[in-house]
Amino acid sequence: MDKSNIILFLCNWGPHTAFQLLQDKGADIPYEIKMVRIPCSGRINKSLLLKAFEKGADGVALVGCSSGACRYGNGTDIAGTNIADTRSILKLMGLGEDRLRHATFLPDEADALLTFLTDFAGDIREMRKTPVASPMPSLPENRSVDFLRGILTKHDVYACQDCGKCSSSCPLTLIGKPFSPRGIVNSLIAGDIDDPSVQNDIWSCLTCGLCYDRCPSAVNFPDFIRDIRCHIISLGNPVRETHNGFFQSLMRIMTSPEVKTQKWAWVPEEIKLDDNSPILFFGGCAPYFDAFFRHHLGVETTNILKDSLRLLNFFDIKPALLENERCCGHDLLWAGDEANFLKLAALNVDMIHSRNIEEVVTACPECFRTLSHDYPERGIPVRFKVTHIYDFLEREIDKGGVDFKKFRKTITYQDSCRLSRFDNRADLPRRLIKRLKPDGFHEMPENGRAAVCCGNSAWIGCDSYSKALQVKRLRQSRANGGNLLVTSCPKCQIHLRCAMEDPFLGDELAVEIRDLTSIIAETINWA
Amino acid sequence: MSRKQENENIKKEVIITGFGGQGIVLAGSILGKAAALGDHLESTLVQSYGPESRGGACSAQVVISNLPIHYPYIRTPDILVCMSQSAYEKYADQLKPDTLLLIDQDLVRPMPGCGDYYAIPATRIAEELGRKMMANIIMIGFVTSISKIVSEEAARNSIRDSVPKGTEEANIKAFRKGFEYGLAILKGREKKASGHTGAIA
Repeated sequence: MDKSNIILFLCNWGPHTAFQLLQDKGADIPYEIKMVRIPCSGRINKSLLLKAFEKGADGVALVGCSSGACRYGNGTDIAGTNIADTRSILKLMGLGEDRLRHATFLPDEADALLTFLTDFAGDIREMRKTPVASPMPSLPENRSVDFLRGILTKHDVYACQDCGKCSSSCPLTLIGKPFSPRGIVNSLIAGDIDDPSVQNDIWSCLTCGLCYDRCPSAVNFPDFIRDIRCHIISLGNPVRETHNGFFQSLMRIMTSPEVKTQKWAWVPEEIKLDDNSPILFFGGCAPYFDAFFRHHLGVETTNILKDSLRLLNFFDIKPALLENERCCGHDLLWAGDEANFLKLAALNVDMIHSRNIEEVVTACPECFRTLSHDYPERGIPVRFKVTHIYDFLEREIDKGGVDFKKFRKTITYQDSCRLSRFDNRADLPRRLIKRLKPDGFHEMPENGRAAVCCGNSAWIGCDSYSKALQVKRLRQSRANGGNLLVTSCPKCQIHLRCAMEDPFLGDELAVEIRDLTSIIAETINWA
Repeated sequence: MSRKQENENIKKEVIITGFGGQGIVLAGSILGKAAALGDHLESTLVQSYGPESRGGACSAQVVISNLPIHYPYIRTPDILVCMSQSAYEKYADQLKPDTLLLIDQDLVRPMPGCGDYYAIPATRIAEELGRKMMANIIMIGFVTSISKIVSEEAARNSIRDSVPKGTEEANIKAFRKGFEYGLAILKGREKKASGHTGAIA
C-alpha cells in the first residue's frame, strides 16, 4: 500500500511557533505530514481544502491560532466555517468528513500539537487512502492549428456576416461589458487564439444561447464556445473558474470510479422508494450547493429534490435512486474539461444501465439537457428515456383529478436557459404555472426564449457585469408587481440570491425566490 | 360489467343526453356495440331527437344486459350522462339515489344538493385536441373508466369501427384522454378517502 499523504495547513503565527519547537526538539512528527505554512487559517478557503483531496491528499488539517488570538481578528472563525462546510461536502461525496480537521494552538502548546498530529496521522492510516484516483494527467494531445480550424468549420462560423445581431442580443454586451461574440469569431478566424479578446471573452460568455437564436447565419455560438474552451485548455491555458474552482474540483474527484457518494442521506423518511423501479430519479448537485452556499441567504435547493420525490410519490411513482450518483458533468463540459466530463458520463450511464432503468426523471434543467442531449452527442449512448419533472407533471396533471390550492403570491418567472432556450420548452413551465392558482402571474419584459440569463453558467467567469445582470433581473421582477420570483434551475436561484447580498442595495433587491416544483408540491391536491 | 353469469340478471340502463350535433346518438351506438360485439352482452339502443338536426334536445337510451332485453325504453337510468344543461334538468328529478351521474362540467351546472356526480371538461379537452366534435368520444372514455359498463378494449374497438375512416387514431386518442381522466378522478377519490390529499405530508 502506498503511504498516505497528509497536508497540514499551518498558520504562520501561533501554531507555527509550536511546530518549530517540535522540529527543534527533533520530535517524532508523523512522516506522512507535509506542512504548508500559510499567513492565516482564515485564508484557506473551501476550494483549497478540497483541491488538496483532488490532488491526492488523504487527510487535511487546518491548524490556526486559538479563537481570539488571530492576528487579523476573524481568521479563526472564518476557518471554522470553511471547515464545517467542506466537511459536510466531503461527507456527501463519500470521502468521509473526518479526513478534514480543524485545530487551534497557542505558540507554547507544542506537546498538544504533537498529540493532535500523531492522532490524526493514526486515524488516517486506519481510514487508508482515499478512493480518489491519483491525479489524472490533463489532456494536451498535441493539438495543432488544424484542430482549431476543424472547430471553426464544424460550427460553420465562417458564415458570420459580422452583422452584429449577436452583440445587440448579448446580455453581457447590453449590460455594458466590453464583450463581442463576433469579435471572438473574427479573431479566431484570423488564427489569433492568443488575442486578449479571445483569452478573456471565451470565459465570460454565458453560453445562454440568445445570440444563436438571433443569428441570421445560425451559428451555434454556445456549442462553438464550448469547443473552443476545450481546445484552449488543452493548450495549457487556465480556466477562469469562480469560487476558486471548488466545483470543478468536486466534479473531478467524482470521476474516480472508487468514490462512493453518499448524497441521499437527507431523503425524508416518508418518501417511498423502490430499488427495482424502472423509473430512476436523478438528483443532481443540489445537496452540494446547499452545503457550499449555506451562507448565501440560506440557499435550500435540496428542497427541489425533496419536493420532486414527493410529487412522484403523489402520482404513485416509487422511484429508484442511484446510490452512487455522480454529477452529470454539465459544468465540466461547458468549462472545457471534456475528458473528465466523459469519465463522469460513462460512470453514470454504466451505473444506470446496470439497473434496468427505462426512464430517468430529473428536476434539474442542466442534468436534463446533459443526460438527454450531451451524453449521446459526445459518444455515450443512453438506453433510457430522460424526462424532466415538468414533463412528467404536465402529463399526470393533464389526466385530470387534481386541483391546486390558492397560492397567495404574485409570480414572475425566471426562465432557465437550458430548458427554455436550448430545448425550446419555454411553454412547459408556463403551462404548469397557469394551472396554479396564484394571485397573479406577470411576465418580465424579456421572457421565454428571449429571457435574460441569471448571470452565470458552469461556475466560470463571474464578474461585476454578471452582478449587474442579476441586479437588473431582480429589479425587473420587482418592477412588474411580483412578490415571488419563480425559478426552474437551482443555479438561477443561487446566482440571484447572491446578488441580493449586496450591502449597498440592501432591501432594494429583496425578492422571495422559490422553485416551481416546490410550489406545485405545496399546492397540489386530489380534487 | 362482467360477462354472462347464470341466472343472475345484471342489467344496466344508460341515458346519454345533450344537444343534437354533439354525437349523442353515435356515443350510444358505440357503447351498445361495445357491449354486444366486444363484451358479448345484449344491448339495445333507442334514440330520440327533436325536429332540429342541430341544437335541439337529443338523447340515446342504451340498455346493456347479460340476458335478453325485453323492453328497450328507460325511465330511471342507472347511469345518466349529460352534455347539456336542459338535458340535465329534464332528468334531474327522476334519478335514483344510486344513479351514476356523469356531466360535462363546462356545460352542466348540477343543482345544489343533487348528490354525488363525476365531472369532466369533455368539450374543452376536445377543443384542446383540436376537434370539438370528439367530445362524445372523450365522454365514452370517461363513462368506460368510471362505470366499467363496457371493457376498455371493447370500447376501443367499437370506436375504431364506428368513426369515419381516417379519424380512428385521433378518436382513440380522445378516448384515452377521457378514460385516463376518469381513472385519475377515481384515484383522487381513493387517495382522499385514505387521507392522502396533498403531496406534502
